[in-house]
Amino acid sequence: MSKVNGKYLFLLACLCISACSITYAQNNYKLKFKRSDVYAGIEVGSKGVKMSLVEINKDNQKISEFNILKDTSINTDFISFTQPTFQATLNGFVGLYNTAINNYKISPEKIFTVISSGVKIQAEKFEKNAWVSGFIDSFKLRIKEPARLVEVIDALQEGRLSHLGIVPTSRRYNTFLIDIGSGNTKGGYFPNGNTTDFKLFQLSWGTKSTANAADKRMEDDKTTSNFNKQLYRVLAGSANDEIVYSVNLSGAYNMSDNIAFSGGIAWSVATLINPELLDNPVVPVTYEEVEKFYERIYKNYQSLQGEEIVKGLTDPFLNIPAIVKEAKTVNKVFDQQSLMAGTGLLLKIMRQFEGIYEKKQFYLVKNGQVGWVTAYVEQSLSNQNVAK
Amino acid sequence: MRDSKSSVLLLVSLILFLMSFVILCTWGYNAYYKSKEQKHVKSNLKEDSAAIAKATSAIANATRDSLQNIYAATIRNFDSKLDSTSNYTDSIRKPLDEKLGEFITLKNEIAEILKDKNNDADLGLARQKIYELQIRVDELAGKNKNIEQENKRLFAMLNQLSGSMNERNPVNAKQVVFEERSPNEKTKSVLNPITSNASNLFIASDLRLSALTITDNNKEIETSQAIQTDKLAGAFTLKNDLSPNYNAEVVVVVLQPDGRVLQKSSWESGTFSSNEGKKVYSCKMRFDYTKGESKKLVFSLVNDNYMRGNYIMQIYYNGLLIGKLSKILS
Repeated sequence: MSKVNGKYLFLLACLCISACSITYAQNNYKLKFKRSDVYAGIEVGSKGVKMSLVEINKDNQKISEFNILKDTSINTDFISFTQPTFQATLNGFVGLYNTAINNYKISPEKIFTVISSGVKIQAEKFEKNAWVSGFIDSFKLRIKEPARLVEVIDALQEGRLSHLGIVPTSRRYNTFLIDIGSGNTKGGYFPNGNTTDFKLFQLSWGTKSTANAADKRMEDDKTTSNFNKQLYRVLAGSANDEIVYSVNLSGAYNMSDNIAFSGGIAWSVATLINPELLDNPVVPVTYEEVEKFYERIYKNYQSLQGEEIVKGLTDPFLNIPAIVKEAKTVNKVFDQQSLMAGTGLLLKIMRQFEGIYEKKQFYLVKNGQVGWVTAYVEQSLSNQNVAK
Repeated sequence: MRDSKSSVLLLVSLILFLMSFVILCTWGYNAYYKSKEQKHVKSNLKEDSAAIAKATSAIANATRDSLQNIYAATIRNFDSKLDSTSNYTDSIRKPLDEKLGEFITLKNEIAEILKDKNNDADLGLARQKIYELQIRVDELAGKNKNIEQENKRLFAMLNQLSGSMNERNPVNAKQVVFEERSPNEKTKSVLNPITSNASNLFIASDLRLSALTITDNNKEIETSQAIQTDKLAGAFTLKNDLSPNYNAEVVVVVLQPDGRVLQKSSWESGTFSSNEGKKVYSCKMRFDYTKGESKKLVFSLVNDNYMRGNYIMQIYYNGLLIGKLSKILS
């Protein structure tokens, strides 16, 4: 009898230890600030569903300091507007919402859910607004929260929120933020010294669309040198015309001292160009640095691979394994040609701000994808305070 | 009569027989001794041909060795010249590269010939090629001499220019003397050797680095205690009497006692290329500059905790160190 009890006690102890470990592991994100709150932002985008857990510093009177705790995404291709992608996106949306509640112990009022401007544009283009409304209703039904707000934000709102979330208050009115996405580029700035008026900037070129355009011209010669040649032609042709026209139209050259780039390509270039600044969410760069980096991608891509990137780093305080890991993540997301296309597009836009007499300061923002969450949180909290 | 005739015939026959016998004997003798002599000659011939072969080989080897020596001496001679030439080849790199290419091809061909010990027939060719190689070395040596002369001329011109620049701007020739702080702050001034470089046009002076504590009513008071420090404030003055008005930028690096760079924020800190390699800077400062103006620049760095020890502030312009100061927090 005592032997049986001993066995049960042992099993119970094991179960308790396992449960404790799982709970600890689930909440084991390292907080950065002394007084902070953790929020989750879940966004349904063109390519899938993205969840970001963000720690926001409560010491700041204005929210602009944040720390990304987790960043997860599920690829579903929602904008193909088919039944299977609808279901897959819904499952991803519900799954991430439940993960935030159950695994990360975030209360529902601290979880913000939105549909991105990319989905809105495509839905309007293909007359699928009802499809998007149906999707939102299905989500509310599945999570049993009929009153939940799932806002469909437009490009202007998204650009404005990203600017508010990413750019610190001290640089708010002299910084032009440009988000280079896969299919398009958008951004803008505050021209009138207030956060209400936002001058929107849009381009129909993104990293993927530029790479695709160059790839289409390659025919049978699939070499990197031919890709480089074709990419040059794409960027010197219709892309250049649109970039020059849009930048001039925005009036940003005269109004901005700082030009900040966000999006996947900004993250990858920032990570590989300055591996020493792994922990810095923003990396200042010069046009010449990015130009040299492009040459390196084209002529010596091997030197940007995993372990190769840390060769020549002499600072003894650097976290070499973390740098290698991040570089490998970049290598997985962007292959040589995508990296060339994105960097080429980045250079083309930077070139418009590279004056002979007046030089702008360029920045690459690594975590632009969560910028809007902080601004959205700030906006929602201030709206709640006003309502009270 | 008949008897006398037969006796004559008999005599003639006998003489013929004797003559035949003598001839036969002579032939036999000759035949015997000839074969014996032939055997002897054959064996002698074998020995002689071996000796001749040995002698020939020795001559060939001697020729090869001497060619090898000439070849090695030519290469040695050329290599020593090449070392000095390679330092001054900027303007004539292309023709020199072509000449070098020809030289290397020739050198390899000769080495191949001399390496093949069994092929003596090509030794003549090797001799010819070595002669050609020597001509090429002479040509390159001539070019080297020209380059060295050109280099001397340019060096003299540079010295002349530096001299005239120092005459125009005597302060540039001096080393910067930074202001000494009060002794209890233990601030050390460090002279900067790079400021005397002619290409470095900004002079940094009046460097200050202060530790500040912020009181409850938001007043900033200077402290020397690490535990009381809320922020570091730095200042320095830049002057340039030579360059025209333009936008300039300097970067400031503040090293903490553990050697890490104290960063202002991720928007302010980045990396730059210095003459010591790629470095992280604490902050970058851009400013409009008017020729001859004393431009005072200030910055501040806020950190959660400050450790005790020596803080080093460095100012870089165009990747060159133009000012350095250290401050100890107790």
